[in-house]
Amino acid sequence: MKGLRFSRKQLGIPYALFLICFVVAPLFVIIYYAFTNGEGQFTLANFTGFFTNPNTLGTLCYSFALAVVTTCVCLLLAYPIGYILAKSNLKKKGVIVMIFVLPMWINFTLRITALKEILTMIEGNLAYHPFLNSVIGMTYDFLPFMILPLYTTMLKLDNSLLEAANDLGANAVQTFFKVTLPLTIPGIISGVVMVFLPSMTNYVVLDMLYNSTYIMGSLIGSYFSAYNWHGGSMIALILLVIILIFTLCTNRFEDDDAKNRGGALL
Amino acid sequence: MRKSEINNRHTLITGNKCGRILSQISEKNRGSIGSYVRRATAVTLAAVMLGASLPVYAKAPETGNVTNVVSDGKGRNINDEADPAEGSVSADNKDGDKAGNTASDGNAAGKGDDVVTLRVCNWEEYIDLGGWDEDEAMELENGQTIYGDRPIYQEFEDWYYENYGVKVKVEYSCFGTNEELYSMLTLGDKYDLVCPSDYLIMKLMKEEAVVPFSDEFFDESKEDNYYVKGVSPYIRNVFDENEINGESWSKYAAGYMWGLTGILYNPEYVSYDEASTWAIINNPKFSRQVTVKDNVRDTYFAALGVYKHDLLTSDEFVNASDYSNRLLEEMNDVSEDTIDDVGNLLQDVRDNVYAFETDSGKADIVSGKIVANYQWSGDAVYAMDQAEEDGVSLDFAIPEECTNLWFDGWVMLKSGISEDPRKQQAAEAFVNYVSRPDNAVRNMYYIGYTSVISGGDDDTIIDYVDYNFGAEEDEEDTFDYNLGYFFAGDENSEDYIVTAPMEQMNRQLTAQYPSAEDISHSAIMLCFDDDAAANINQMWIDVRCYNIKDVPVGIWIFAGAVVVLIVAAIVRRKMQMRKY
Repeated sequence: MKGLRFSRKQLGIPYALFLICFVVAPLFVIIYYAFTNGEGQFTLANFTGFFTNPNTLGTLCYSFALAVVTTCVCLLLAYPIGYILAKSNLKKKGVIVMIFVLPMWINFTLRITALKEILTMIEGNLAYHPFLNSVIGMTYDFLPFMILPLYTTMLKLDNSLLEAANDLGANAVQTFFKVTLPLTIPGIISGVVMVFLPSMTNYVVLDMLYNSTYIMGSLIGSYFSAYNWHGGSMIALILLVIILIFTLCTNRFEDDDAKNRGGALL
Repeated sequence: MRKSEINNRHTLITGNKCGRILSQISEKNRGSIGSYVRRATAVTLAAVMLGASLPVYAKAPETGNVTNVVSDGKGRNINDEADPAEGSVSADNKDGDKAGNTASDGNAAGKGDDVVTLRVCNWEEYIDLGGWDEDEAMELENGQTIYGDRPIYQEFEDWYYENYGVKVKVEYSCFGTNEELYSMLTLGDKYDLVCPSDYLIMKLMKEEAVVPFSDEFFDESKEDNYYVKGVSPYIRNVFDENEINGESWSKYAAGYMWGLTGILYNPEYVSYDEASTWAIINNPKFSRQVTVKDNVRDTYFAALGVYKHDLLTSDEFVNASDYSNRLLEEMNDVSEDTIDDVGNLLQDVRDNVYAFETDSGKADIVSGKIVANYQWSGDAVYAMDQAEEDGVSLDFAIPEECTNLWFDGWVMLKSGISEDPRKQQAAEAFVNYVSRPDNAVRNMYYIGYTSVISGGDDDTIIDYVDYNFGAEEDEEDTFDYNLGYFFAGDENSEDYIVTAPMEQMNRQLTAQYPSAEDISHSAIMLCFDDDAAANINQMWIDVRCYNIKDVPVGIWIFAGAVVVLIVAAIVRRKMQMRKY
């Protein structure tokens, strides 16, 4: 048998097919529903409805706040860990990193159920701190996604730069802000993207920890279960646009700051 | 044996065909990835053809042993083969619903006079699946032994063949909520017999999507008509009296299970008086210790009870001659003002309850996270049983204002039956079979809900109640519980009095068979029209959302400051860059 010849284009076919069937086509269906009403006529009512209803806007704010706080907490927890890991002289770094990733191997509902019991033990009654619980739950869930990109970036951090800073008389704080932090920005950004986006919509965590407030994900779900496919599609579309803007911003940031530097996972 | 040979031959032919397609394709385009894609497609196609063709042959008319391909509701498929020689077919037939449907389609198109396929869709965990331990067998006073061997729908197939001489194959599947079932139907899924709740039955009747039961179904002289002979006079009355489009429910729907809604509570922390009112969901004494349902209809009903508490409990209202009609009207009040007010009330409820839950409340009340839980009577029975095993004693109270009387019932769908008299006969026989008193007892034992069947002349059901809840003869602390309204249609009948131990008061017995007193202030929740349903749904979404007006001023200032800082940092950076 002769050797196979793959051209690049052909290699992309399966993925393109997948993309068309499960991403592009459904997207058009969503757009169609978002801009029509029950009779199939074009309307902007769904759009204006979203931005004039204090409850949907409030939900957007709530999801945003939840995502921001979760991301910050994750970042604050993960950055030192990543740094210590990357800079340590331990021989088996891989094993330690694996310990951090290990929770991801356990089913996520199982983890959250366990967390529910732990939080009940600590707080007595979960229902008094719904926002805090949600932040803890999401942090628990998404922390590995923050640690990994930070760790890989820091691993590539050139030690000679730190030594140079030291030689030129910078103290530890200055070294951190002038050298370490700018060099790890790509890792921070990919970590933020991986934590921020899912925490805006992952309502299962909230459900399981008894936070009865809707976030974007559950809001869309509630529209669909009330047979309001048009309103639900519009919210999904708005969320999509917000995510798109967010991603573009972070890409831009990356371009400015870390051109050709690489190291990020995404 | 003959049949399996036929099957093998067909497999061979299909296999050859696939091979030919494959080789043709690969000869033309050798070496490029395109051929691999196409080849993969061809393999998939071939596999689909193979999978689709086999079940059709598996039901070859001339032999045709009964083949079951059913799902037991947990996504597993149970294959039950009558003839061991057909093992190979059975294995290939595991494709589940899809293959099963293809089989029935093939059947409908081809020779139809052999096996009738009955597609039944029921709630999850809502029928006895058999497999009881031997010590679970119940010997009732009337000499009947109740024992669940195999799933009821499988036993039905044998029973139907014995009694009607026709082979039937039941494709049993499950749904999780009424909304889910309705979506499935709108998206084009075909079922012959489904078991939705009262309001969905009404909706289906309104949409004229259901087939009326035949005259034979109502013929009490026929021995196999267990439903009409056995249905409780009380339930029959409710089904006769309620009308949609000017026709009574009983013409289109046959009851299956029924019950009330109430409060399941832990008597250690909550008194009966506190639990026997809907106001408990808004009672600050139990702040963050009560759960309600994460479901707009149930929670709306409870909130209406709180909202109209004074009216519903006033003597003038309760003693009015048209009390039950007025109660029905009040509990189905969906005027815009009421929805607004109830929405506001629910905002407070949200800040007072522990959670909106669908299923976790039962576990949380046992583990002590909460002290009271809005519950359906059947689930309450189940939860009380479970709690006893964990050494916790729970009670169930029916709120004084009003309780929601609900039913799940069998309806035959036009889209599935499609005027096929054989299907309709099988569907009606299925209803009768699950209504046979011993099967009704099996279901009650298995799922904890209450069957609408009282047994008529047969005393299996009342014996079961006595077997389950009745006091031992030497027990002293007992009370007499009259179930005449349910079994005889007469509250004052003396024939159906159960003597139960005192500890059963407000527990399993009264939850499974509510007293006539509780029943007297029950109301059905009707099917709302589209506008009202949309209003209520919107109200519910608003209740659950965070209102932007609730954002504290401090947060706005903080967020504003953060934005200003970020912008300032970016501008400063740009300026610096420009300098270089």
